[in-house]
Amino acid sequence: MAATRRLQKELGDLLSEDSALKKSFRDIIVDESNILLWRGLIVPHMPPYNKGAFKIEISFPAEYPFKPPKVIFKTKIYHPNIDEKGQVCLPIINPENWKPATKTDQVVNSLLALINDPEPEHPLRGDLAEEYTKDRKKFLRNAEEFTKKFSEKRPAD
Amino acid sequence: MSGDINRQLSHMSEASSMGSDGNSSEDLEEDNEYYMDNTDDLDLDCPSKADDPEYFEYEPLQLIDAEGMLNEEIEALCTKLKVNPSTAKMLLFGHNWNKEDIIENYQRDPQGFLIESHLASRRKHDNLIGVRPTCSVCCRDFPPDRFLGVACGHMFCRECWDMHFQTQIQDGITTGIECMAKECSILVPEDFVCEILSQPKLRDKYSKFSFNDLIKSHPRLRFCPGIDCSVIIKAKECKAKKVECQACGAIFCFKCGLNYHAPTECDVVKKWLTKCEDDSETANYISAHTKDCPRCHVCIEKNGGCNHMQCPSCKCDFCWMCLGDWNNHGSEYYECSRYKENPNIANESMHVQAREALKKYLFYYGRWENHAKSLQLEEQTTAQIQSRTQRKVMNNEGTWIDWQYLLQAAALLKKCRYTLQYTYPYAYYMEKGSRKELFEYQQSQLESEVENLSWKVERAEIVNRGELENQMDIAEKRRQTLLKDFLEV
Repeated sequence: MAATRRLQKELGDLLSEDSALKKSFRDIIVDESNILLWRGLIVPHMPPYNKGAFKIEISFPAEYPFKPPKVIFKTKIYHPNIDEKGQVCLPIINPENWKPATKTDQVVNSLLALINDPEPEHPLRGDLAEEYTKDRKKFLRNAEEFTKKFSEKRPAD
Repeated sequence: MSGDINRQLSHMSEASSMGSDGNSSEDLEEDNEYYMDNTDDLDLDCPSKADDPEYFEYEPLQLIDAEGMLNEEIEALCTKLKVNPSTAKMLLFGHNWNKEDIIENYQRDPQGFLIESHLASRRKHDNLIGVRPTCSVCCRDFPPDRFLGVACGHMFCRECWDMHFQTQIQDGITTGIECMAKECSILVPEDFVCEILSQPKLRDKYSKFSFNDLIKSHPRLRFCPGIDCSVIIKAKECKAKKVECQACGAIFCFKCGLNYHAPTECDVVKKWLTKCEDDSETANYISAHTKDCPRCHVCIEKNGGCNHMQCPSCKCDFCWMCLGDWNNHGSEYYECSRYKENPNIANESMHVQAREALKKYLFYYGRWENHAKSLQLEEQTTAQIQSRTQRKVMNNEGTWIDWQYLLQAAALLKKCRYTLQYTYPYAYYMEKGSRKELFEYQQSQLESEVENLSWKVERAEIVNRGELENQMDIAEKRRQTLLKDFLEV
């Protein structure tokens, strides 16, 4: 199966010491019986989310890489582009835009960029998008508080 | 026949006017005038191109003819630009089949135009780095000659291209298939796809889908929206005009493919239909089939298309729409189609404004809906006329041809009512002013004549033929006048 070979290669690259993402995407857990489901921890480095970490799940379809993976947040996050169910709207893995040559590290990079720099123009949570555009200070305060309260503990190093 | 007679008569009249023979009688000249008048009438009955605001030239094509037509256009471009058919096809598809524009742009800057059309890349990529070339999609190593790519130079193995095409085609994507590289929007031409696709079944699917894409992108071709109809309509130009499919009878607007909607424009009618869908619950209560007689309050069900109601109990004549006295509708000024806005609305509270907006919408929606319902009921009228004609013919009361005018009247009534129905979204979105006043005046005129016609058609047995045909003529003239003034040509 094309998916297995490709995912093994991608996983190997992400777990290697040279991975550019080793600080911000870590604790990657993949069940040996099912390489199509990855769990990991997103560790943002910019306020207001740098007070915590966020568990995500990446699930790959059997047709991968000809069809895109899906990303779900397992930790609650106060963000205009991520809804209460943890769904996130990421253009790079949108079926219409998906390219088979796109690598998972590029997907994670794009996710990190979205977390650090919300896109209020196409929000999943309209209320937060409005707050983000109209009262940035209030948004940052709320997001930081929310992060402290609900997010995962950041790794020590 | 009549043409021949006329020619003969005009010969005779020429002869008589030349005065070569003193025997020409006055009778003959009278006959001559009579026939000449007759031809004028005929001309009015079938309006010419310039006269008829709904005139539209189109022809039905079978799939194979449409394919031939597209291929001709593609070939012509191939010869002109000296490009291969796949490229020509993509250029036409991507540029609205505007051959002149394509040729001009291509001749000015071939490479730039191909880049703009996603058929060429600004720079050639080569991702076969290192000694062991790896396909970046499946992560397998291959000898360099196993790699393939399109205009951008992104190289992948044959198996991955094949899988990519299979996945895309199964999702219905054909002409829009792009290269597999991240952020590369170079389009994959047909010959490349067909050369690689391993499954013959998918190759057929590809041709079918891409043919559909081509037809849909062509400004002068339309699939007939009729159910299971495979006819393709070819028109001279892309306009919001009426097309009637001879194969399935579907009547639609050539430009948008929705039900024909003159005098309303495509985007307005779309807006209106969406609004009606959104507001269907609020509008539901007014679409009840029964109303009470305004005088004796007996409950009356509307079972015909005509809005001129006569209470079976107290015999009063009233209008179904406004429940007012019908006498005010027929002879004098028909005002029932005109919405009277509250003149002081700007100063009212939000609440009142919202209610006024709903009231206004319900006013137009009610009339729109009522005509739609009447049109359905008019179908019953047609069926009744048909069975009545049959009975009469069986009883030797005239031949079938003698009663055709009744069916013609019913057909014309439907046509007028149909146009009338589509005047309401037009009026709803129209801005206040003298043009709206003129529109509503003409609309009310048409409304009044259509109701007269409807009344006469339903009572065709006691209305004489001349009177009915006269009414048909008046109604159609009103319809034509309205369309001439307000249908964007």
